[in-house]
Parts: sequence; C-alpha cells; structure tokens
Amino acid sequence: MSTDGAWPAGHVKRVLSEVDSTMLEAQRSLGDLTGPTWILALRQTAGRGRRGRAWVDPAGNFAATLIRRLDEPPARLALRSFVAALALHDALAELTGLPEAFALKWPNDVLLNGGKLSGILLESPGAGVLSLGIGVNLRASPEPDPAAAFPPVNLRSETGITLQPEALLDRLAPAFDLWDRRLQTYGFEPIRTAFLSRVTRLGQPIIARTLTDEIHGTFDTIDENGSLVLRTQDGNRAIPAADIFFP
Amino acid sequence: MSKDHTTADVAFIKALAELLNDNELSEISVKREYGENDALNVKVSKHAPAPQYAPMQYAPAPAAAPAAAPAAAPAAAASAAAPAKSDDPADHPGAVTSPMVGTAYLAPEPGADAFITVGQQVSAGQTLLIIEAMKTMNHIPAPASGTVKRILVSDGTPVEYGAPLVIVE
Repeated sequence: MSTDGAWPAGHVKRVLSEVDSTMLEAQRSLGDLTGPTWILALRQTAGRGRRGRAWVDPAGNFAATLIRRLDEPPARLALRSFVAALALHDALAELTGLPEAFALKWPNDVLLNGGKLSGILLESPGAGVLSLGIGVNLRASPEPDPAAAFPPVNLRSETGITLQPEALLDRLAPAFDLWDRRLQTYGFEPIRTAFLSRVTRLGQPIIARTLTDEIHGTFDTIDENGSLVLRTQDGNRAIPAADIFFP
Repeated sequence: MSKDHTTADVAFIKALAELLNDNELSEISVKREYGENDALNVKVSKHAPAPQYAPMQYAPAPAAAPAAAPAAAPAAAASAAAPAKSDDPADHPGAVTSPMVGTAYLAPEPGADAFITVGQQVSAGQTLLIIEAMKTMNHIPAPASGTVKRILVSDGTPVEYGAPLVIVE
C-alpha cells in the first residue's frame, strides 16, 4: 500500500473549467469509464445537494465527483460516506496544518470551527456503480439559511488560507484510496473507530430529523452498519438516514 | 424569511393528496421546516370506503358452489389451495425488496413527481424508488419489465433489510 500521497494507480483525473454538475457529468461518462475517475469542475452552474437542494458553487470552491464501478451490495457501498469524510479530513488537516480545527459529523460532514465547510453526497444510480460528490467551501460560502443545521463557513475566511481546488484533489484522491483500501482489507471496524475519534458531539444530546420523524437522544455510538445510535427514553435507536441538529 | 407560505402550502398539500391517491396509500404525514418556530405539519389520510363491504356480503354464495363441487378430487383441490394465499407481500413473486436498512423516497426530491404510480408500465432497470442510508441514495431498479401492482412503502419512512417495497408483475 502506498501512503506517499501520489495520485492513485489506475485512477483517471479530469479537470473541467465549467460543468452543470459533476454528479450529472459522472453519470454521462459512465459508459466510457476506464477506471475510477475523479471529475473536478472549477465551476458548477447547477450544483446539487441532498434531496434536490441547490449547492451554490462559485469559482474558487471545490466540486468533484468520484465515479467508479464497485461490485458490492448497497449497504457496503454506503460505507464510502465515512471513507470520504475521513479522507477529506486528512487532506484538509495536512494541507492547512490545522488538524484541530476540523471535526466530523455523522455520516459525512467535515466541520471547520464548528461550521459546515463541506457537503458529501453519494448516489448509486444502478447496481455496482457509485458516484461520490464532494463540495468544499474553499473561498466562499452561502448566506446562512435559518433552516440549516449549521452555519456555512469557508476555509479562507476562517483560516486565511487559500487552497486551489486541484491541489486539494491531488491530496484527497490518495487519501480516499488509502481509507478505501483499509475498508476493503480490514472491514468497517477501523473506519468506524477512526470516525468516532474525530466526530463531534459524541456523548452529547443531538436531534435526528427524517421526513416523518424527529428523534431526540444522546449520541451513543455508530454501529457496525454505520447507523447513528441514539440513547433515547425508549432505549437505543439505530438511525440509518437523518439530518442531524444540535439542540 | 417569515413570509406567508399559504399559497405554497396549499399546493404542497394538494400534491400530497395526489401522491396519496396515485400510490394507493392510506396516509402520508409530513413536517416541513421553514425556520425556527415556523413549520408546517400535514397529515393526509384516506379511510377505506365503507360501502365496499356491501358487495362482499353477496360474494359467498357463488363462491360456495365451486368449493363444494370438487369433492371427487380432494387431492387436486388441496394442491391448488396450498400455494395460494400468503398475505405477506414479501412472498409475492413480483416483490422488489429492500437491499438495505434505510429511508424510502418515492420521488427524486421533495415536490417532484413520484418515480412510479400504481398501474404504470416499467422497464427492467428503471428506478422504482430510492433507499437512503448514510447519505447514499440507492436507486432501486425494476428487476424486470412489468406493471406496478402495489407500492408498499410511503415516502420518507424507514424500511428494513428485505422489506417488500413494490410489486411489479
């Protein structure tokens, strides 16, 4: 296993000056894939967030999608959420030299000084295909949305550091590959442990909201399937999908 | 942002009612957050129409006759009965089951048209719904071409591994 930070073997890098959405571009390129492919866009005109939310993406911010074929069941594919968050955390910590400033939020947010710096969205448009989109506010962040769980922040105004998107990709791709090979070799446990050591609000009260429910509890752990486990008045609840809020 | 949401809310509730009918659901309950102390809670539900029981009263008479007839061939009757009725949709040969624990979504995003409606023709590989876990949106494809007979989950609700989602025949 190489840990030297070189571009991962067999991976393709495409840098586009502008695209509608790297997730859409990834889907369009599926037929032509020669290997795992990172698509970086210097500008997205129609960035997408979870469940159709717009992702505002001015020039200078990071927007990339990794698309790859992976012959694994969906529950296993979904664990790449944690892989991606750990890799992004590593890449940002190394490039800024500020590891203490970053934290993780279940299942795949990277926080900077407690604010939302990034968004990660995974999609499996068909069996054995995974598109993993990552957006990072390097230069600009949107206006705070009162309905959002966390105030958006950007790297430059929080730290004074300007990172070029491609420089981040060049560090992120090998970090992702490293964590991904750990998952493939050792299973989810080392990923789970590393994530728990960097996650925010462990042991503290949080709120998990779904379309139909709102669960209040204490953040107990992340289980072996990757679900968030909350200690509630009715016992432990394992939650596979929700938006997390801090009371 | 404390704008008057009334018009949008009415449209939203109408859309829910349509979703309810189109998918033969009995109830949808949704909470929409606009901000602090500004939320919309909606529950649309449909009660089974009571008059349906009336025709049922007349049904047993014709049904009883064929049941009495095959007395001469009890073996045939028994074997015909055996594979028949399981009420569990998971046992249905056309059942599409969930490959993972997660949350089911019937539309690509809130407010959008549902992927499928009951009675619709679908082709193999077409997305029937999405199951989300760990912010991963898994498109669940139709295993074969056919007609959507039933949709067994409602939008935004949790599903277990192996739970029947849709019946396609």
